[in-house]
Amino acid sequence: MRGIAKSLMVTLSTFARKPVTRDYPNYHRELPERDRAFPLLLWDKEVDEPFCTGCHACERACPVECMTVLMKDNPNHKSTGGNSSRRKIIDKFWIDYARCMRCNVCVEVCNFDAIAMNNTWQGHELSVHDRKDLVMDLQQLLSLSHGGGIKEWVPVVGQANEQ
Amino acid sequence: MNNSLFGFEINVWLDALARLGLIVGVMTVVAMGLIYGERKILARFQQRVGPQKTGPFGLLQSVADAVKLVGKEDLRPNAADPWTFELAPYFVFIPIFLGFVSLPFLLDVNIRLLELGLLYFIAVSSVNIVGWVMAGWGSDNRYAMIGGMRAAAQAISYELPLVLSLVTVAMLAGSLNLKDIVEGQANVPYVALLPLAFVVFFISTLAEMNRPPFDIPIGESEVVGGPFVEYSGIRWSMFMLGEYASLWILSVLTAAVFLGGYSWPFGEDFGKGYQLVLMAAKSGIFIFLVFWVRASIPRLRIDQLMSYSWKILLPLSLVQVLVVGFVQVYELPDAFLTVAGVGGLLALVSITGRAVASSRRLPGAARTMRSEAV
Repeated sequence: MRGIAKSLMVTLSTFARKPVTRDYPNYHRELPERDRAFPLLLWDKEVDEPFCTGCHACERACPVECMTVLMKDNPNHKSTGGNSSRRKIIDKFWIDYARCMRCNVCVEVCNFDAIAMNNTWQGHELSVHDRKDLVMDLQQLLSLSHGGGIKEWVPVVGQANEQ
Repeated sequence: MNNSLFGFEINVWLDALARLGLIVGVMTVVAMGLIYGERKILARFQQRVGPQKTGPFGLLQSVADAVKLVGKEDLRPNAADPWTFELAPYFVFIPIFLGFVSLPFLLDVNIRLLELGLLYFIAVSSVNIVGWVMAGWGSDNRYAMIGGMRAAAQAISYELPLVLSLVTVAMLAGSLNLKDIVEGQANVPYVALLPLAFVVFFISTLAEMNRPPFDIPIGESEVVGGPFVEYSGIRWSMFMLGEYASLWILSVLTAAVFLGGYSWPFGEDFGKGYQLVLMAAKSGIFIFLVFWVRASIPRLRIDQLMSYSWKILLPLSLVQVLVVGFVQVYELPDAFLTVAGVGGLLALVSITGRAVASSRRLPGAARTMRSEAV
């Protein structure tokens, strides 16, 4: 009997509380900086070109093989009168978001901190009518960082070990 | 042969037709409102917000559901008994619908005030068990069959304490006319004199409506919806409508019979608006209690359910009848009733507590099997 009374009181006290539901499509909760949506490429604002040199490290590390990387000689390199120290630069880059499982491995293996996990809501709200539309090309991957839309969070090497 | 309806003199048959149409319309609207209210209140009990997208505050959610249900295909299993299967929803729905006839909503606002209104209500409202058994039998489905049988067993068991607690009210009022019963409570509502009868009545109505914690006939986790298993579309929605209509009817009946109806306090001195507020508040309290219990208490086992009715509720309500009889015959003061009722309530609480706390006793054969296995 005490159990029944207790259960009634529990539900009543819950009834008096405010609902925890958030009206999602109209209200977006602020995401943490380390939120892990899909990977995208970062833009080097000092030199005005992508960080990515097309070194294939992420492509080789990717466990689901969702990436395709093509490299080219950097037309903006110092040897040809440019202001960049990158000898090679990314030419074409595709990431199939339909295959990506957001494991963060590409971010960890990147030698140039050129790839990061999207930490904005744009990285989550990606529904499309055709699966092919989920294959992102270089321009799509860079646009968010180029426009300054992404919140900076650079993974610190060895941070996991320090804890 | 003319009758007056809202002050107009009209033909008797037209009058009957108009009143029936009125019941159907009001009942449907109220059932929709109750479904919306239940979803909203239950959501708050679980810290959710409930329907909110369809119309303002989700008010049109029930309408959307109704349209969806009507649009669905009306399926019938191949092996089902066609007549039994197709008629069952009506047998559930119509008795509940008939129960409206004698209810006193406000002073002189009712469908037809019967001299034996309470008896009529009890007689009519228990007929819908036939529909449940028909649905269970006609579906040619084992789960539906079990559910229908459970519904029958439960309804028969809980009918007795329900009726006995209403009998005490009739004894106090000295009448079966619901109008007299309501007006007999102008000073003191019967819940103050018969607290035990009220609690027994409340528990029995939960069982009659197949509401949690007595929803074993339609328990989704055990009999996958019981008699509803094979129903879809409009027939299923008729079951649903019947369920919520009976919730409304019983809430109005409780308000009228135990909580003083439109009469207490000072209901007859003020106008119909005040009476409407009174009735709405009283039946609203009852409905809220039903939802609250639903949100809190898990489903009983069938043997617990049956023994709770036969071993606890029925003897206590018989004692209540006896006490009321003594008080009436020897003309003891009414306060004696209240004291006895509170004592009975304490007894009910203590017995229920002991029943909940006691360990499960297996039948003899199972006990020997278990001891051999160990």
